[in-house]
Amino acid sequence: MIELQGITKIYKMGSQTLEALRGVSLKIGKGEFISIMGPSGSGKSTLMNIVGCLDTPTGGRYFLDGKNVAGLTFDQLAAVRNRKIGFVFQNFNLLPYSTAWENIELPMLFDGKNHRKRKERVTELLQAVGLYDWREHRPSELSGGQQQRIALARSLANDPPILLADEPTGNLDSKSGQEIMDILMRLWKEGRTIVMVTHNDEIAAKSQRVIRLFDGQVVPERTA
Amino acid sequence: MFGTLVRNLVRDLVRQPMRTLLTLSGVVWGTFSVVLLITFGDSVSKAQMKQFHGMGQGIVLVFPSQTTLPWQGFVKGKPVRVTPEMVEAIPDKVPGLDLISPEFIGSRLISYGRQQFRNTVRGINPPFELMRNTIAAEGRFINPQDMESRKRVCMIGDVLASDLFGSDKPVGRTILIDNVPFLVVGVMRPKKQNSNYNGQRDERCAFIPWTTFGSLYGTKYVSNFIFRPQDPNQTKAVTEGVKRHLAKLIGFDPADPDALAVWDTMEFEKQISVFFLAFTLFLGLIGSFTLLVGGVGVASIMRVVVDERTREIGVKLAVGARRRTILWQFFGESIMIMLFGGAIGFGLSAAVIRAVHALPQKGFTEFIGSPTLNPLVIAATVLILLTIGVIAGMIPAKSAASTDPIEALKK
Repeated sequence: MIELQGITKIYKMGSQTLEALRGVSLKIGKGEFISIMGPSGSGKSTLMNIVGCLDTPTGGRYFLDGKNVAGLTFDQLAAVRNRKIGFVFQNFNLLPYSTAWENIELPMLFDGKNHRKRKERVTELLQAVGLYDWREHRPSELSGGQQQRIALARSLANDPPILLADEPTGNLDSKSGQEIMDILMRLWKEGRTIVMVTHNDEIAAKSQRVIRLFDGQVVPERTA
Repeated sequence: MFGTLVRNLVRDLVRQPMRTLLTLSGVVWGTFSVVLLITFGDSVSKAQMKQFHGMGQGIVLVFPSQTTLPWQGFVKGKPVRVTPEMVEAIPDKVPGLDLISPEFIGSRLISYGRQQFRNTVRGINPPFELMRNTIAAEGRFINPQDMESRKRVCMIGDVLASDLFGSDKPVGRTILIDNVPFLVVGVMRPKKQNSNYNGQRDERCAFIPWTTFGSLYGTKYVSNFIFRPQDPNQTKAVTEGVKRHLAKLIGFDPADPDALAVWDTMEFEKQISVFFLAFTLFLGLIGSFTLLVGGVGVASIMRVVVDERTREIGVKLAVGARRRTILWQFFGESIMIMLFGGAIGFGLSAAVIRAVHALPQKGFTEFIGSPTLNPLVIAATVLILLTIGVIAGMIPAKSAASTDPIEALKK
């Protein structure tokens, strides 16, 4: 499903260069549940951005579903992000002035789905995360856990095979965090590939495999 | 998709009502200026052209002067003398003439009862009426029988008529011109006239047959004559023909530029229409600058908006928005402000134009004429509005679309 070969990412800041990733290679199979761990500055976020097609690597090859996406243009990558990848962020990243419904609808608008399809799917997703009655509320009127459930529902709007979660429970109390993890586990069992960045060993323990990053390189694997 | 886009646009604009209003006001004022300046420029031009036509349309005035070149033994400075008979014989010799009239001009004491004025008296022939637009509103103009019998009849200008007679009917009454009785046969239809030559404007003149003028006052030579060519495009050639003919007849160098002073109103009209076009364009340009300031307002506010919504842009890009989609969102917002402001500006100017129409046509409003929102003005304004809107919208929209999603999500 996801295969990285010798991915490097070098940031240039004036005369200084910063090597965020120094040749990362890894394979994530379809239906796997992977955790990525590592201290801050180890390159976790950069790696997630590249896997999520938000950023392009400086070197190396990235096969997504067997297709090399390293050379695609920004708008081509946008289509990949839209259909193949769902994002869940630590700070939810919901649009503050849009309702729960509109937030979930967003990826489908960019995919050009018609009104009827969107309505069906949003209803279905709202019911799945148990927030149908909150559909007309704005993010500021929802609790953190509710916001993250909306964000999760949004990430699933176009039914992507891959879910990328960047510390999805980082801003939540333990009960809400648990709810989110339950949903993620359920999605994994339904066959979705899940890649999650976390600092929390307890949460990482729920995944099948932990990839540890240090100083821009993968620390030799061990199964969790 | 489109419905959602519009709904979101409206929500974004309504969210900051004060800011939207202020931004809008710049565009409203700009549009208002453009529309009014162009409309009024256009209207003033038309009013002036119309008043210029009040003196006559497509006519050539010829004023005999004196020679400035020696000719066949005569030194320069010889007066050029033209009689009315010579003038009326010109069409026999020069082809292409439609109408021609000699003109004697004098200042005479005109009285009726206790009213007495020193006004201009013009001695002319019947074709003068059509050429100089001195159409009778009541009664008639001078006719061939008047000419033939040297009748003491006159047609008087509308202002002179009311000066002499007040509200009484002038036609059929007798007035005195230098104590000689004249029968009033007609009163001129009021007209707007902004150009003139020797003497008062037609509204204050008395028109009598030149034959009568000549015999009463002993005048032999015309003050000027007027002709109208059949084909307006042949004006130059016909004028040359008249010059050559008279040069031969009277004896002066046909190449003498000043022996006959010529006022070709067609040529003059071309010049003033070019002037008024430039005048209107200049006003439009000033208006456009005002609108440009409004556009700059929109652009700078949109920059702020883009800045504030960097995170929103980041989220949208992350969930699969293409750069083009973001571009259109912000571009659409700018264009919407421009169009909405433009519509209000149009409305306001339409109201002002209506108000001007409601004013009585006197003095200033007479000068302005009647401004109308004609399709050309609308098209020009919309074009200016769109051009500025596109530029003002594109700059912030481009910067929004080039947002780096990773940086944006960190904010």
